[in-house]
Amino acid sequence: MAARNTQDLDRIVGYLKEKRAEDVALSDVVALAELTAESLQTFFLTLDTTLYRELRAIATYINDMKVEIGALQANELKENRIPEAGQELGAIVKATEEATNAIMECAETVIGADANDPAGYKTLVEAQMMRVFEACSFQDITGQRIAKVVETLQQIEQRVSRFVEAVSAKDLAGFINEHERKRAERKNRFMLNGPAREGEGIAQAQVDQLFI
Amino acid sequence: MPIDLSMPILVVDDYNTMIRIIRNLLRQLGFEDVDDASDGSAALSKMRGKRYGLVISDWNMEPMTGYELLKEVRGDPGLNKTPFIMVTAESKTENVIAAKKAGVNNYIVKPFNAQTLKSKIEAVFAE
Repeated sequence: MAARNTQDLDRIVGYLKEKRAEDVALSDVVALAELTAESLQTFFLTLDTTLYRELRAIATYINDMKVEIGALQANELKENRIPEAGQELGAIVKATEEATNAIMECAETVIGADANDPAGYKTLVEAQMMRVFEACSFQDITGQRIAKVVETLQQIEQRVSRFVEAVSAKDLAGFINEHERKRAERKNRFMLNGPAREGEGIAQAQVDQLFI
Repeated sequence: MPIDLSMPILVVDDYNTMIRIIRNLLRQLGFEDVDDASDGSAALSKMRGKRYGLVISDWNMEPMTGYELLKEVRGDPGLNKTPFIMVTAESKTENVIAAKKAGVNNYIVKPFNAQTLKSKIEAVFAE
C-alpha cells in the first residue's frame, strides 16, 4: 500500500514538473485534482486499516484488562479477606497478651507466696503451674490463626503478581498519600527499623563492645 | 559504690506486658519504687515532676520515641545527669551508635534476661 502511495505522488510530481512552463488549462487542473483525489483515497484507505487495527488492539487490551482486574477480585480482598486477616491478627495479639498476663500472674503469685508452710506452698505452686499449662494452650489457636493469615497473604500475592505481569505494571515513585509520606519520614528520621530478622541486627555482645 | 535500691526508676514502654516484665525483674533485683510511662512525652512530663535515679526506655513508641526522649533529657539541664538505659528490639548498629552519641548510658537488645538487665544497671552505676 505504501508503494502505491509513492507511485501516485510520483505521478503528481511528474505531472507538475511537466506542466511547469505551460499555461494551465482547466483540463489540467481537473486531471491534477483527479490524481490527487485518487492518491488521497489510497491514503485514507491505508489510514482506515491502520486505525482500525490499532483501535482493535486497544479494545482487546481493555478487554484483557477487565478480565485481569476481575481476576484480582479487589472488592473481595478489600471487603472480606483483608479485614478478616486484620481480625485474626488482632485476636492473636489479644491471645498472646492474655496468655502472657496469665503466666506472669502465676509467677507473681508463686514469688509472693509464703514458703514457710511447705504443704500449702506445694499445693499453691501446683495449682499455679496448671494455670501456666492452660495459658500455654493459646499457642495452638494462634498457630491456626497465623496459618489463615499466611494463606490470605499468599492469595493476595498470587493475584497481585498475576495482575502485575498482565499489565506490565511499573511502580510510580513517591507515596500514595501524605500519611504514608509522613510515616516513612518518621521511620527514617528516628531509625524505626523494628525487630531484626534472624541473622540480621547485632547481638547483645556486639552492642556491649560499642560501650567499652 | 553500692546501688541505691530505694531510688525511683521510670520504665517507659508502650506495651503494658513489657512494663510488667521489667517491673518484676526490677523487683527481683530489689528495686521497689518503679513508675511507668507509655511514651516519651508522658515520661518527660513525669521526669519534670519527680527526680528519677534511672530511666529504662523502649525506642519505638508513639508519639514520642525513646530516642527523642533521650535527646530531650540530655538537652535539659535539670535532667541531663539522669542515667538512661535503652531496652529495645532495634538492633541495628546505626541505632546503637546514634543512642550512644545522644548520651545513652547502656543499651539492651530485646529479648533480654534478668542477668543482662542486672549487669547493665550495675555497669551504669559503676561509671
